Amino acid sequence: MSRLLRIAAREYGAFVRTVGFWLSICLMPLGLLLAIFASGLAAKSAPPPRLAMVDVSGGGYASALARAVAPRPGAPPAAVVVAAPGAPFASAADAARRLRPYLSGDRLTPSGQRLDAVAIVRGPRDAPALDLWTRNINEPGLEARLAAALAGAMRARRLEAAGLSAAQVRALAGAAPQVTQYSPRSAAGRVSLSDRLPGLIGFAMGIVLWSIVLTGAGILLNSVIEEKSSRILEVLLTSASVPEIMGGKILGAAAITATALMVWLGVAGLGLASRDPALVGQIASILLRRGLGLYFILYFVGGYLMYATLFTTIGAFCETAREAQTLLGPLMILLTVPVVFMGQAIQRPDAPLLQALSWIPPFTPFLMAARAASGPPWWQVAGTAAAMFAMTGLELWVAGRAFRTGALATGRFDLRLLLAGVLGRGERA
Amino acid sequence: MQAALELEAVTKRYGAFAAVRDLSFQVRRGTILGFLGPNGAGKTTTLRMVLGLVAPTSGRLEVLGQSDGRRVRDRIGFLPEERGLYRRMTPVGAIAFLASLKGLSRRAARDRAVALLAAHGLGDAARRQIRALSKGMAQKVQLLSAIAHDPELVILDEPFSGLDPVNQQELEGMIQGLARGGATVIFCTHVMAHAERLCDQVVLIAGGRKIFDGRVDEACAAAPRALVLEGRLAPDALAGAPGVRQVSTEPIGEGRLRLCAQLEPGAPVQAALRAAFARDLDITRLELKEPHLHDAFIALTEGAAA
Repeated sequence: MSRLLRIAAREYGAFVRTVGFWLSICLMPLGLLLAIFASGLAAKSAPPPRLAMVDVSGGGYASALARAVAPRPGAPPAAVVVAAPGAPFASAADAARRLRPYLSGDRLTPSGQRLDAVAIVRGPRDAPALDLWTRNINEPGLEARLAAALAGAMRARRLEAAGLSAAQVRALAGAAPQVTQYSPRSAAGRVSLSDRLPGLIGFAMGIVLWSIVLTGAGILLNSVIEEKSSRILEVLLTSASVPEIMGGKILGAAAITATALMVWLGVAGLGLASRDPALVGQIASILLRRGLGLYFILYFVGGYLMYATLFTTIGAFCETAREAQTLLGPLMILLTVPVVFMGQAIQRPDAPLLQALSWIPPFTPFLMAARAASGPPWWQVAGTAAAMFAMTGLELWVAGRAFRTGALATGRFDLRLLLAGVLGRGERA
Repeated sequence: MQAALELEAVTKRYGAFAAVRDLSFQVRRGTILGFLGPNGAGKTTTLRMVLGLVAPTSGRLEVLGQSDGRRVRDRIGFLPEERGLYRRMTPVGAIAFLASLKGLSRRAARDRAVALLAAHGLGDAARRQIRALSKGMAQKVQLLSAIAHDPELVILDEPFSGLDPVNQQELEGMIQGLARGGATVIFCTHVMAHAERLCDQVVLIAGGRKIFDGRVDEACAAAPRALVLEGRLAPDALAGAPGVRQVSTEPIGEGRLRLCAQLEPGAPVQAALRAAFARDLDITRLELKEPHLHDAFIALTEGAAA
């Protein structure tokens, strides 16, 4: 045991003492913040599209459409309305033909600019259609805003034609039903943020576990490859048993990732507490309530052990990172599956496919973490956990036998050698 | 006295391939053994069996009185060929870590590391990262990490590899010091001069089989002595001379030749010399070359291959 702890302590110290480790710890939240705000920054930095409006329906819908793209409180305008060059137009086809060069950039408006979009309202005045020409077919929101505005204006016109006053039409437009959501799972019956939080926390835990597995496994893989290529593993094998070496390395990497996790959670907790202290309290109470914290720890430990063992064994068979990449390919594909399904677990935690996938040990820790909020039946928790730990135990047994063979092998990865090691042909495990 | 290491008919097979076949030898405590052989002879496999890293397929092996090297791992020190150290650790940290795995307490391991480094002139480098050390210094640190726990059996795989002559000499001194201190040392090397200077016993293997086991002088006796003559000589000047087995010639300029006559084992050199003088040869230089371990190595491995 003392050897295991010494190997773990060396592993931990070797990483934590480096500047790179603390740099990566600091850069991770910064990168995350950047990723969160990047799309907003990119949207804000982009100028709104220049939109020309042509109404050949005779219904006077242009003003309604202009209001729809006008700036709203705290938000930039969806578009800047400019006069359509060459107006008036005989028909929608005429407008499209003559304005098209302004969109393609072959011609510029009198103010020397290019048009980004043209909205042409055509058809009968009480049933108009909208042709939206745009340079950016992925422009978010513009089409929806214009369509909603045109539908509203058309509806108002028809209601007025049916005899309603303008005030009645405005009142109707502003009328919206009050919807309240209830759930038997909610303590007060009525669904609140604190009821939605477990789902979000479960999803976050799944993602955190996934990142920890990747980070910890990456650390382990590189560490074992370094030791194997420099023959340190051979020296270690003359000083400690395979379980001591593997256990020490896995524990050391777990301590490294736990340190990073604590720092990140601490920073996130402080940031959240400074903005909404009540929310921090709610999260803490959710984690403590109904043993949800223990539930996550159970799957964390099982998931980490399962993947860490696998990565450690792969490292023992590789002398370079390039060699490892070829073996990691299938594993990485396997690891993407739970990510795809974790998002689904929040919306449909009881979907039959998700329940079935939860029983497959490599996916169990991630999917069960994400399904935590729905309160899966106890037999599913016990069963999936048992399957996961059984798989981990089997993996540890196989890895223990293969590790020594890999550590002593030279040259490229050889499947026959791996099998010989697992079958224990003449080697000491 | 009980042997530090004893192998009896040890065989190691990997499938159909036999890496070591029927190998038997003993190493007395407190002696230095040179474990020699060409590449692929089975040296590393044998050492791994001794260290308990792989199990023999058949035969009996006893290390420090135990049949499994793992049971006495704390009493064995091992230096792998080249490398074998954490490049980002300091010498103190690396030595102390490996010594602590061998059973020393954390504090004792650290104190021992500091003392060893100071005693071997590495006190100034003790806190630098190993990657910043010269190859010679790193190799010394590696050896110190193998012996920091005062092992009874020290196994060194190519310890002189890549060292300059000064460091080689220093390393030789360290190995002799270990033996004087009572440790048994087994080392593999391709440089026969080291084995010749250091070893009490040499074991030579080729193709997984033992081809020699004995003292250095006994090994040398297995190689032929040579009579070297230089002068204005005909290539067949020594043809038919008594005791001469084979003659090789080499031109050395100005119409002169060097004749190297290998003598039959046990043949007196006087007979060959008398024959040479009787033929009134124009000899400007003569030398009787006693065989070295290098010659014995070649002769024995060639003999085994034949």
